[in-house]
Amino acid sequence: MNKRVSIGAFSALILGLSLALVGTGNSALPQVEPAYVKECGACHIPYPAQYLPKRSWERILGSLDKHFGENATLSPKALTPIKTYLDSHAADSAAGNPRIMRDVGVNIMPLRIVEMPFWIHIHRKQIDRHAFDNPKIKNAGNCGACHRGAANGKFGDDD
Amino acid sequence: MKNRLFVTFALVALMPMIAYAGAAQKPIIDSYLAAAKAENAAFSGFSAERGKTFFLAKHDASADTPSCTTCHTADPTKAGQSRAGKEIAPMAVSKTPDRFTDAEKVEKWFTRNCQSVLGRACTAQEKGDFITFMSSL
Repeated sequence: MNKRVSIGAFSALILGLSLALVGTGNSALPQVEPAYVKECGACHIPYPAQYLPKRSWERILGSLDKHFGENATLSPKALTPIKTYLDSHAADSAAGNPRIMRDVGVNIMPLRIVEMPFWIHIHRKQIDRHAFDNPKIKNAGNCGACHRGAANGKFGDDD
Repeated sequence: MKNRLFVTFALVALMPMIAYAGAAQKPIIDSYLAAAKAENAAFSGFSAERGKTFFLAKHDASADTPSCTTCHTADPTKAGQSRAGKEIAPMAVSKTPDRFTDAEKVEKWFTRNCQSVLGRACTAQEKGDFITFMSSL
């Protein structure tokens, strides 16, 4: 029995390593749900799940017929994997980062990442707020205008 | 002489492409044709001209998206841009050959965008006119 378990664990390790090697050659983040990238990424970058709390994603998915001034309804079939993905990768999920939730009051329902205290903190410190008035940028939610790796989940100063 | 020869050659080379733009869209056009006939007994066929008027028209259902052209620009052979800043491939079939070939995708976007721009569902005739216009460019 133990032998079987260790063989299983070893195979899993080898599989994980090979996947990691394949992953380095691929610019898309392998752990992002493909349905999320396909459906939500059609109009904007697939915003990182870990930048909003679960309650925010729930509210957004529950009101797609009025999505920031547009109808973005999805069929229940398309919606299910997206819901599961966002719920399990949100800021306050096990996969999330507690620092992202800092200063987010329990009664606060941020619906845009740009309303999140961590986002405001980082951008206020480093960016002239009038930069977002540039018509080429359109709005602060167009992360890719400045972060070239945004579509692949990269938001470092050099991305 | 050389130029004329070249133009003739180019035209001959392009002809199968012109014929192709539209063939791939036929199954979807045909399904809207059947629906349009069911909607209106007097329906007599789709019109690229009507599709163009529909595409360029301004509506008052939404201040954010008053027209198809808000995101797609007034020239369907050019790329558009979503309100969030993402590029949208040209709607013209000559530029984006796989437009209007996936029935599920076509219905998804008509359902969303007709609600956003017109505040109602589009008729089968409007959809067919739209695709006919986009296939004619």
